[in-house]
Amino acid sequence: MPLILCHSPKGGASTTFTASHLAIGLSGMDGSDGIGGDITLLTLSQSDMTPLHFGLPPAQRLPAFGAAIEAAVLVSGISLRCEPFAAQDPDFLARLDDGGFLAADSARTLVIDVPAGEPALASRLMPHAAVHICPLTASPDCLALLPQLLEQDEATEGSGTAYVIGKLDETRRLARHVAAFMREVLGDKIIAKIRQDQSVPEALAMLQPLSRYAPASAALADVRQMADVVRGMLEMPASADPGQTDSDGAAPTRPAPGASRAA
Amino acid sequence: MRADARSLLDRLGRSDFAYKEFADRFSDLELWPLFEALLKDPRLFTQEIAAAADMAAGANEAVSSPAIAGARTAEPAPPPPPPAPLRAPQPSGAETLAELFNRYEAEASGTTPQRHAQDVRAMLRRLSELDARGEL
Repeated sequence: MPLILCHSPKGGASTTFTASHLAIGLSGMDGSDGIGGDITLLTLSQSDMTPLHFGLPPAQRLPAFGAAIEAAVLVSGISLRCEPFAAQDPDFLARLDDGGFLAADSARTLVIDVPAGEPALASRLMPHAAVHICPLTASPDCLALLPQLLEQDEATEGSGTAYVIGKLDETRRLARHVAAFMREVLGDKIIAKIRQDQSVPEALAMLQPLSRYAPASAALADVRQMADVVRGMLEMPASADPGQTDSDGAAPTRPAPGASRAA
Repeated sequence: MRADARSLLDRLGRSDFAYKEFADRFSDLELWPLFEALLKDPRLFTQEIAAAADMAAGANEAVSSPAIAGARTAEPAPPPPPPAPLRAPQPSGAETLAELFNRYEAEASGTTPQRHAQDVRAMLRRLSELDARGEL
């Protein structure tokens, strides 16, 4: 059971886009190795745009995490759910466990999209995540957060945090320099860069999935590559039993980002 | 995607374009003051990059990149002992590149930990190498 946490400390860093396309990328797997197969994308945002990334109208309401299977919204085999008040729910983790999402032998893959405004919730989920995907943008505000991020990463022994540079516009000098600086500091912890691509908002406006609206989209190619890298991280021996907890029942073993990174 | 862009991609047999720019030598650029401020933050260099820098750079190794070496020779280094105080970011161009690198060197021989100084030099060297390879 891989639980994949998508959370950025900075809003507007394409976290929902990343989480959505990560779920889509993993849903293409057959699930025989415990990855892919039964995929649930759970968004914890109160103003959620997840349906748009799947070509659904904005009025589409996603069922709550605990809603009956009959209420499920399934797109490309992915069950879309929302839990906008998870931060106020002290039993949220217990409910995840009750739903079988934290069980070591579960065949389910859960991708959780945690909004930037809920860092405490992300911290609660992080020990249970096989991978934490942290999207950043190549901008000064994200760059200024790097010391804080690295400090938190070290404090939580967060070897499972992997960074993604989103909305990267390499025609801009500052963006190139910031991305180069980030690569120098974060090294292999950066598992992907996703290029700025106007076809992404255009697909949203067309109410179409990006893969249908712009199959040649640069951002689509990048995010698919990212999903492959994440899959490689999940397949590492260290994560063979990612739900296994230590003696005090806290954190499962997590793989190091970039350890299985594509060359 | 616009039809003309799709047509061009089809003719090229490509699925997308990758932007590449060949200008912007690092030595010709000002160091962004934000970069300078971050380079002084010790939290950046407690990760494995510090270990890598330690392995790559000897304790007294001189910075070898042409950009940085050029910047050094352009202006002699000031007397090293007094450690440079942490300064607020300045507007671009307020400090020459040579002054900036010389100040890092002064910090290296002052009270700033040697490890930190090596990290800064390693960072700048790598940025310059990236620029030389056209990857910046």
